[in-house]
Amino acid sequence: MTRGSIFKLFAYAVVAGAITTAVAVFIPWLPTAATRQADRMWFSIWFAEIIAIVVFAVVAAALIYCVVEFRVKPGDTSDGPPTHGHTMLEIIWTAIPTVIVIAITIVAAIVIHDNGKAGTNPLVIKVVTQQFTYQFEYPNGKTFNILRLPKDRNVKLDLSSKDVIHSFWVPAFGQKTDAVPGITTSIVITPTRTGYYPIICTQLCGLGHALMRSEAIVLESTEYDSWYASAGEAPAAAAGGTDGKSVYTAAGCGACHVFTAGGSAGTIGSSLDNLSVDAAKAGEELNDFIRSSITDPDTFLAPGYAKGVMPSTYKSSISGAQLDSLVQYLAENTK
Amino acid sequence: MSAAAEAHEHHGPPPIHYSSRINPAVLGIFLFIGSEIMLFGSFFTAYFFDRIVANPAQWPPLNEAGVPFERPWFLALINTLILVTSSFTIHWATVSCKKGNRAGLQAGMVLTFLLGLTFLLTQVIEYHRIGFNTNDTAFAATFFGLTGLHGCHVFIGLLILLVITIRAFRGHFSPSAHHGLEVGGIYWHFVDVMWIVVYVTVYVL
Amino acid sequence: MTSVTHDHHHAPASPSGLRKLTAPGWYRVLWTTPLVGFIGLGIVGLIRWAADWDPIWKSGPLATVGTVSFPMGLLIGLGGFDFWTYYASGKRTRPDSHDGHGATSWRDYFRINTDHKVIGIQYTVTTMLFFVISGFMALLFRAELAQSGDQYFNPQTFNVLVTEHAILMILLVIIPAFAGLGNIVIPLMIGAADMAFPKLNALSYWLLPIAGVTFIAGMFAPGGGPSAGWTCYAPLCAHQPMGNIFFNMAVQWGGASSIMTALNFLVTIITMRAPGMTFWRMPLLVWANFSTSLLVVLATPFIAGSQFFVLFDRVMHTNFFEAAGGGYVLGYQHIFWFYSHPAVYIMLLPGFGIISEVIAVMSRKPIFGYRLMALSLLAILVLGFSVWAHHMYVAGMAGWLRVPMMASTLLIAVPTGIKIFSWIATMWNGKINFNTPMLWATGFIATFVIGGLSGVWLGAVSIDIPVSSTYFIVAHIHYVLFGGSVFTIFTGIYYWYPKVTGRMYNEKLGKLHFWMTFIGFNATFFPMHYLGTQGMPRRVADYAPRFQELNAFASIASYLLGASTALFLFNMIWSWTKGEVVGSNPWRAMTLEWQVSSPPPTFNFDEVPQIVGGPYEFGVPGARHAILGSAQAEPVATGGH
Ligand code: HEA
Ligand code: HEA
Ligand code: HEC
Ligand code: CUA
Ligand SMILES: [Cu+2]
Repeated sequence: MTRGSIFKLFAYAVVAGAITTAVAVFIPWLPTAATRQADRMWFSIWFAEIIAIVVFAVVAAALIYCVVEFRVKPGDTSDGPPTHGHTMLEIIWTAIPTVIVIAITIVAAIVIHDNGKAGTNPLVIKVVTQQFTYQFEYPNGKTFNILRLPKDRNVKLDLSSKDVIHSFWVPAFGQKTDAVPGITTSIVITPTRTGYYPIICTQLCGLGHALMRSEAIVLESTEYDSWYASAGEAPAAAAGGTDGKSVYTAAGCGACHVFTAGGSAGTIGSSLDNLSVDAAKAGEELNDFIRSSITDPDTFLAPGYAKGVMPSTYKSSISGAQLDSLVQYLAENTK
Repeated sequence: MSAAAEAHEHHGPPPIHYSSRINPAVLGIFLFIGSEIMLFGSFFTAYFFDRIVANPAQWPPLNEAGVPFERPWFLALINTLILVTSSFTIHWATVSCKKGNRAGLQAGMVLTFLLGLTFLLTQVIEYHRIGFNTNDTAFAATFFGLTGLHGCHVFIGLLILLVITIRAFRGHFSPSAHHGLEVGGIYWHFVDVMWIVVYVTVYVL
Repeated sequence: MTSVTHDHHHAPASPSGLRKLTAPGWYRVLWTTPLVGFIGLGIVGLIRWAADWDPIWKSGPLATVGTVSFPMGLLIGLGGFDFWTYYASGKRTRPDSHDGHGATSWRDYFRINTDHKVIGIQYTVTTMLFFVISGFMALLFRAELAQSGDQYFNPQTFNVLVTEHAILMILLVIIPAFAGLGNIVIPLMIGAADMAFPKLNALSYWLLPIAGVTFIAGMFAPGGGPSAGWTCYAPLCAHQPMGNIFFNMAVQWGGASSIMTALNFLVTIITMRAPGMTFWRMPLLVWANFSTSLLVVLATPFIAGSQFFVLFDRVMHTNFFEAAGGGYVLGYQHIFWFYSHPAVYIMLLPGFGIISEVIAVMSRKPIFGYRLMALSLLAILVLGFSVWAHHMYVAGMAGWLRVPMMASTLLIAVPTGIKIFSWIATMWNGKINFNTPMLWATGFIATFVIGGLSGVWLGAVSIDIPVSSTYFIVAHIHYVLFGGSVFTIFTGIYYWYPKVTGRMYNEKLGKLHFWMTFIGFNATFFPMHYLGTQGMPRRVADYAPRFQELNAFASIASYLLGASTALFLFNMIWSWTKGEVVGSNPWRAMTLEWQVSSPPPTFNFDEVPQIVGGPYEFGVPGARHAILGSAQAEPVATGGH
């Protein structure tokens, strides 16, 4: 290789690197981190990003150089020089990537190790998932549909699932884990910014998957404490409460159903605003019809809907008293 | 079409050149068995997770009556002996064939087939009387999964044995040409060895 | 299709009258399929009746058995088992018989054919058909995704489309496309007349359309199609509409097909190499298929197992993965990924082989670091078995598994890097002809490096956790599968097109196809990285309005991809009859397949060729790869003379 060609190659690499760096820096790839864990993760991403830029620039430069410089001239049928290899080069391009990936491994291992530490006195919240809702159970036994968290305190979320695999993800929190039936999984978060954040289920869990959402609210710790102290006044939900409307919300019916009284507009299932029509079709009394529609959704299918769409798990996940009030509530508010 | 292809006059391929001493059919069956072992491997993996990871404390788990599920290990032990014997009889058949002893080949094959059949029928009867069903906990799932998978292999093995037996009676195997017998034999040995592993895991451990 | 003309060799004379109904072929299929099919269903009824189970006709068991018995009837009708039934019933058989070998008319492509070249074409054409079908599904659901909110499809249909799109692309496009190209060229490359087991080869091909039709039939199954994603996670999968049974069973057909082909490749490569063809003289494509086949034989049974378990959990109410019955839910994922991670290398290693061929030939240089290239394939193979749990970093598996999995995952970058760097070094100082295959090969390196680097990010646990199950993954998937595998398949198709058809594709259209795909591809999938990090999960028909613009952009770009595919198909079909006739060796390559006529004669070689050197000795004075019988092919100007 001549001086000139080395310079050219270098120039290509700089240009390719500059473009990639611009893409990396000027596009706001990551949401602003809102937990200490996310800060660490973002750090490891930047670490890998720099490596990726360098690797990509090197490969791109060499490739472009080949494309530009080594094109065959028309009519030239001769062969290139018969080089079969170069031991030193081969050792280099085995060794350098090895070192790089070991470095990435170490950084990532440290990050997940730190991110797994919950400290001595974490706030432990149980997250119970089911098609297509979250329930957050606080240490005082109260259960809510929305997650409220204090700023700057270690929170350990213990996830479980009543039916299929779900997932808990808040993009700005970084952390994510699946909720798996039969086992408890957990993640630790330490919020650092107050605000509202969407909670997203990322594991395909059935037809309402796209709608399985909730909200996390990070409060200043004083606000949180006063909310927590008075939390008993907040609407009771499925776990203990038997008020029909809260059961409706807690069980996630709204993800799939239009129901004006419940304020829900889901489009997967049929509208619950005119149940008496379907009850008549099924030849059942309204209350019985609603009850059996919830416990055995496949026995009567609303016209145009398929079997197996509405979860058949409510039989077991809604207690008897709750079911009574849910049926009551639906029957009273439908036409 | 090029001149070359037109110059290509004679029929059939050129004589085959073998680049390895191993017979292709024998290599094929060994690779196939490798694949089969992995299939069993996936069932053992499921067993591992259901037993060691999910139910480390009690195995077999308790049934509705509160006592552990009963496994008919003694009956299965006798069955094991039957199957192991059949491995010897098919070996005898193969050796006889190589020595040119046709009667030995035929007797060996018939015996092997009958022993295999006995094994399978015993297994079916055992299923019938075992007292639990597929839907009784993960234990039953792995029990029926592993023994059932093996049962399917015995069934396929029996079909192969049947073919070999028919061909043995028709005189298709000779001391110099008996790959069909050998390949079938290798498979049958595999089925037997696999059973021992299945037996130990499912009935004894 | 005048492609493979074998004037002297005749397919079995076509029978007439009633014999038509008993001779192997489509007439016989007409009655064997319903016969065997309904016998299967009948047996289900019989058993359930005898065991006093209610109801006697239950959809689950019927679907399970029907997806076996009807295809069996079809295979019997086609004559897939004729040889073996003859053998089994003790009749005299001629294992070396060449009935059903070769093709003289298009009809010969629609029957059991034992010629590896015909089978290769059958495979390749079938996969292209499924590429259009499953690509079309992607275009459909991209239309839904162009806007936030619900437009055309309800979530059920959307999920069915995504599931079928992915599984068809994987099981009916990428994996068999490599099997097809391998079928055409491997026996030629190693100097053999055919594969080791031609009849098995024919049968493995026919399992493929069966798998494909079963998948598609599943979409229309009563109750709804398979909608749990291509990964079909338990326990969701076991509680999905009936289409999932079709899905589970079709995977078995596809898996069986790929295991049988792999076995055939292995035995062929081990036992049928021409004299002098040592392992270190094999073309890298053969090396690649050798390693891939080992992966297939050892890993594929695991996906078979995983699909059996979810099927049993559903049909027989077992509790393999049902938490309520004491099963372990994550067991499914371990078993599934133990296959499906190696599967991603099954979907790439043969492509690596193709790229090596093309780059060496088009750059007119020997492959740089041949031995390391071969060894790195084996390294990927071994490492590939030890990384499955990187798909489960967020699945809640045992925490201690994550770091070792991460280490071995990231180590795969090293052998892969060796390959990338060696290709570039091969091009270095070469006399590169940037014709269509070479363009695709170069484009492949560029896009695959991006996909590989995003893979390295995913391999690092702390980076994977925030982006797992988001569109970042979707971007990674397509950079490695489309920008990787599909690009290599196009490379291979263009490269061997003159060998298979005897004619050259249209170069201008080929280049246009490349540029349209390259631009359309990056425009469709690059923005998805951003969607993912910002918070758009995968497998959703509806998403937050703030992702609207980028999604609309990706959808529009995906139509460019559709158009480019249409262009490709046109080029292939048109050139088959109208393309310029070229000689046996338009690329001046050294490997054996180029030393025989195009299309190759029925039995490939008149005499067994003698191998005397490496396959890529371009520029080495006087070097030869092989010595063929005298009248074999027209004189070939190999480089350096
Ligand atoms: C052809 C298919 C293919 C290939 C080749 C790969 C290659 C790789 N993949 Fe990918 N992957 C998939 C197909 C593929 N993948 C699919 C389909 C999924 C999703 C499945 C689903 O959930 O639906 C997936 C998902 C997936 C995940 C899980 C993500 C998640 O669900 O959370 C991970 C995590 O580790 C991963 C990692 C990797 C790595 C490390 C490689 C490596 O092999 C890449 C190696 C290559 C390079 C690194 C580039 C070249 C190297 C150099 C230029 C050398 C220098 C480089 C460095 C020093 C870094 N992949
Ligand atoms: C080889 C693999 C492969 C290939 C080539 C593709 C190709 C494409 N994929 Fe696919 N994809 C996967 C494998 C692949 N995909 C996998 C494994 C998943 C994960 C699934 C899961 O989550 O379970 C996935 C998921 C996936 C998603 C995410 C879905 C979701 O999570 O909700 C999206 C979204 O945009 C997408 C889009 C596309 C597009 C636009 C193309 C385009 O490249 C398609 C180009 C179009 C064509 C090739 C069609 C050509 C059509 C014509 C020419 C029309 C002619 C018409 C007639 C003759 C009638 N794919
Ligand atoms: C995954 C989406 C989904 C969820 C969640 C869901 N349903 Fe449904 N539901 C449906 C679908 C689809 C139908 C129509 C098919 C049927 O009748 O089974 C339906 C039908 C019904 C019907 C009968 C309506 C008619 O007109 O026939 C009632 C009543 C009902 N649901 C109540 C509920 C209640 C109460 C809940 C919460 C505890 C709930 N659903 C949760 C999807 C859902
Ligand atoms: Cu719950 Cu997706
Ligand atoms: Cu992987």
